[in-house]
Amino acid sequence: MSIEKGGGALPPHKNGRLLALPTWQRHLLAVCICTVTALLATPMAGRLDPANIVMLFLLAVLAVAVSLGLEPALLAAFLSVGLFDFLFVPPRFSFEVNDGQYVVTFAVMLAVAIVTGRLTAGLRRRADESATEALRTGALYEMARDLSGALMVEQIAEITGSYLHRVLNAEAVLLLPDGKGNLKAVEVAGTKGLAVEPTLAFVAYEKGEPVECSPLAAPGFATLYLPLRAPMRVRGVLAVAPADGSRRPLPDEHGRLQAAASLAAIAIERVHYVDVAQRTQVQMVSERLRSSILSALSHDLRTPLTVLVGLADSLAMSRPQLPDDERETAGAIRDQAERLNGLVANLLDMARLHAGDVTLQKEWQPIEEVIGSSIKLLGRALAEHPVKVSLASDFPLVEFDAILIERVFCNLLENAAKYSPPGTPIEIVVRAQAGNAEVSVSDSGDGFAGDTVALFEMFARGEHESAKPGVGLGLAICRAIVEAHGGTISAANRPQGGGSVTFTLPLGEPPTIEEEPIPGEMDASHG
Amino acid sequence: MVETPAVVLVEDERQIRRFVRAALEGEGCAVFEAGTLVEGVREAADRHPALIILDLGLPDGNGIDLIRDVRNWSDVPILVLSARVQEKDKIQALDLGADDYLTKPFGVGELLARTRALLRRQGRANASPIVAFGDVEVDLSRRLVTRAGSPVHLTPIEYRLLSLLLANAGKVMTQRHLLREVWGGSSVESNHYLRVYVGHLRQKLEDDPTQPKYLLTETGVGYRFQP
Repeated sequence: MSIEKGGGALPPHKNGRLLALPTWQRHLLAVCICTVTALLATPMAGRLDPANIVMLFLLAVLAVAVSLGLEPALLAAFLSVGLFDFLFVPPRFSFEVNDGQYVVTFAVMLAVAIVTGRLTAGLRRRADESATEALRTGALYEMARDLSGALMVEQIAEITGSYLHRVLNAEAVLLLPDGKGNLKAVEVAGTKGLAVEPTLAFVAYEKGEPVECSPLAAPGFATLYLPLRAPMRVRGVLAVAPADGSRRPLPDEHGRLQAAASLAAIAIERVHYVDVAQRTQVQMVSERLRSSILSALSHDLRTPLTVLVGLADSLAMSRPQLPDDERETAGAIRDQAERLNGLVANLLDMARLHAGDVTLQKEWQPIEEVIGSSIKLLGRALAEHPVKVSLASDFPLVEFDAILIERVFCNLLENAAKYSPPGTPIEIVVRAQAGNAEVSVSDSGDGFAGDTVALFEMFARGEHESAKPGVGLGLAICRAIVEAHGGTISAANRPQGGGSVTFTLPLGEPPTIEEEPIPGEMDASHG
Repeated sequence: MVETPAVVLVEDERQIRRFVRAALEGEGCAVFEAGTLVEGVREAADRHPALIILDLGLPDGNGIDLIRDVRNWSDVPILVLSARVQEKDKIQALDLGADDYLTKPFGVGELLARTRALLRRQGRANASPIVAFGDVEVDLSRRLVTRAGSPVHLTPIEYRLLSLLLANAGKVMTQRHLLREVWGGSSVESNHYLRVYVGHLRQKLEDDPTQPKYLLTETGVGYRFQP
């Protein structure tokens, strides 16, 4: 990509070097041409009719008009008439005119000079204009081509700025919204920058319409704010001002400015989407990586745990039976291995929840089902604690992710069992409360000491619990899961003693269950 | 029932094979070990096993492929051992024809209970039409359900669901499968119906519906009747 820098505005293009000469030189040339014509014609004065000699002068005037423009042509016309009259019209060498017919000659010569001169000038101007136009279109095309290769907004700002400078002799600055809804100028190295009135820029951005303030702008401030309208939305603002610091309105050339703004907008949008696509790609790859690391970790940690549990069990169950002492050791190994497994499960859960790659598989279901499966899953850990569940038999269905809420119940029940004396019951109560299902799991232990809110922070534990195993991840996981469901969780001590953890799940509108079409019932008499 | 049922054990971790083998031999089974998928398929074909115990994560491939393969020629019960916590792997294995699964780590007691249930199912050629659990008796031939001697009223759907679970005692039935069999093909998305009807059955047949002993939930997967 090549960007021509500096150089100022394009010079107005001129065809033909003669017309570009200073005025006095052009007039001098016109005089020369007429003089040369007169000198060439002098030897023929006797042989040629004056009517033919005047043709030579007419030719000279024509030549001057075509090549040097209108004023030299007029000069040439007067000069030619004068020379012709003086040198060739009898009486020669005097301005006296004997024959009235030469007046016509003068008039024609003058008319030819004027008409041709003007025609030439007009043609020239149009040719110049279209050449300039072609150059500008070329520059616009070049800008479009450069923009299509741009990968960063800085490049876009630089290309746009350089185009406007070259073609319209304007300063420009590109303003893009940052994350907080403010418009920020894109810095381009090596430019002195243009001051911007943020309010005006914002109006242009919000309304999607150009805002012009030429006569009012302070020196050094942008005089025109153009919204960068891309197919999807307004992407930013292009602020421009004449490069010479004047407050004149920029020529046109709104058409050209608009075109430049559109091109920049499309380029910005393209860069934006390239960015989005790239980020999504990176995110997908890292999510896949994370999830494969987690499942590999889970596999690698669980295999030795399986061996430990299985071998300890085999020892405990071996025949002939081991002495009691050794059986107890085997049992302890098994219990510790299972506890380790619980910790691993919690750690992996936390990693997954923390990484945010858990999508809730919410389904409408009776909450007692997940309570029952949690109790069953804990099995031996709850052997010493009877669990009492109170809930209305017509309690509505609740929408939740069964696997995650099962983790919540398992953690709460395990904690309750761990922190209350063997033989004491654990109570689960489910009630409908202000649009929520409110579930509390209570034990008959010592309750919580200290700040009950901090209990749900990662790695926090109640003060009195220091002798008990666990890293306090359990409650943090419960909180993460409950909050993901739009519920809340809190801990408290019961007035009658013991701790109680309460969480809520929003009730919502459960789907209806159609009654069976046939009320016919299975019955002994239908046997 | 076969005298010494043959069990093919496909598992890549030697120590796991060791204790599973010891436990099963203690039950009077003949155990044939395989450490890879390829060996596993060969053993399954050669030994005419009464049960296949299969680890899903094998060094040379996914155990799922073995299930698919074996189901082409045999109905032998398959018990899946899975270290994977992803329910969809379990569901896939069950939908392809596995009968039950154990999540690692598992105790020997659990393993033996599942193995016995599956072997019993296998030998149930002349099974009685009467299934009894707790104080409930179901006479499948007369479509009669009694609890502690008195008749229990079940709706047709409840009865269909119950008989399907009883007929597959010990086997995990996926939600999809149950919905398809009981409600028909178009209902596979109405999981809440299934849950509500299992709840009805529990209320009618279990001592404590919130802590069922026989009609068990496999969370995220399905249900199982545990005799």
